[in-house]
Amino acid sequence: MGLIKWDRAVPLDSLAHIQREMSDLLDILSSAPQGERYAAMEFPPIIVSVNEDSVFVRAELPGIRISDLDIQVVDDVLTIKGERKPVAPAAKATYLRRERNYGTFARSIMLPEKVDVEKVTASYKHGVLLVTLPKASEAKPKQVMIQKA
Amino acid sequence: METKEHPSVEKKKITPDKCVITGKGDWYFPQSDIYETPDNFTILIDMPGVDTEHITIDLRDNELVINGEVSQEAYRDEKVLYNEYTIGHYHRHFVISDAINRDKIEAKMSDGVLSLILPKAEHVKPRKIEVKAE
Repeated sequence: MGLIKWDRAVPLDSLAHIQREMSDLLDILSSAPQGERYAAMEFPPIIVSVNEDSVFVRAELPGIRISDLDIQVVDDVLTIKGERKPVAPAAKATYLRRERNYGTFARSIMLPEKVDVEKVTASYKHGVLLVTLPKASEAKPKQVMIQKA
Repeated sequence: METKEHPSVEKKKITPDKCVITGKGDWYFPQSDIYETPDNFTILIDMPGVDTEHITIDLRDNELVINGEVSQEAYRDEKVLYNEYTIGHYHRHFVISDAINRDKIEAKMSDGVLSLILPKAEHVKPRKIEVKAE
């Protein structure tokens, strides 16, 4: 281990050092190859949309059994949990290519509006899960009548 | 068999084809698995949002061309607040060899997963040779 001369650094010097470190880190992060994966994305990918009455959450979940899905709404948090099971081919199968992936997943999302928890419905069609969450009556816009005095 | 603890999400890739596809929307490259059993090959393709009527499978020369179209009608009067995936059609093709009995290719679509069963031709099926005792 070598000895390093310790000199009483001016506080601003160490700040400059931190700044340099940070800029190096930023360089590393920004020069990293842009992978095909979304950095902060989880399975399943979702789309959240709204119309006047409801909030819709769609998720791409191809090839899943409905019994393997668990959907819960608590206040304004929707949780989708489940497991994507691998197709069990015959015993003597050899995989030549494997791109689809499997496993358990769970994700919770904060809904953009207050919803009526009792009226939430979910459907699964062609590999897409659609959760329909009707807005709570207080979240719907109310027309205010103006009275002529 | 390898099982990932959490399925990962990959950004949909635009189909790398140079062929000209007319019509609205993007075309994506769906993920697929291929496995081989003694009697056939099975191809599984994830095509969420595609129904049985909007899928076309063509066998041209040596190419098996699979197209799946997605309807975007449902979004017409909704405002999208957040999206992690884009909706588009799917296109993928595979080159198949003589080892496949082309007349007996079967396709089945369920829950957004297309499964294609390509039976092997008789001449490539494993054959057990009996040893006769003298």
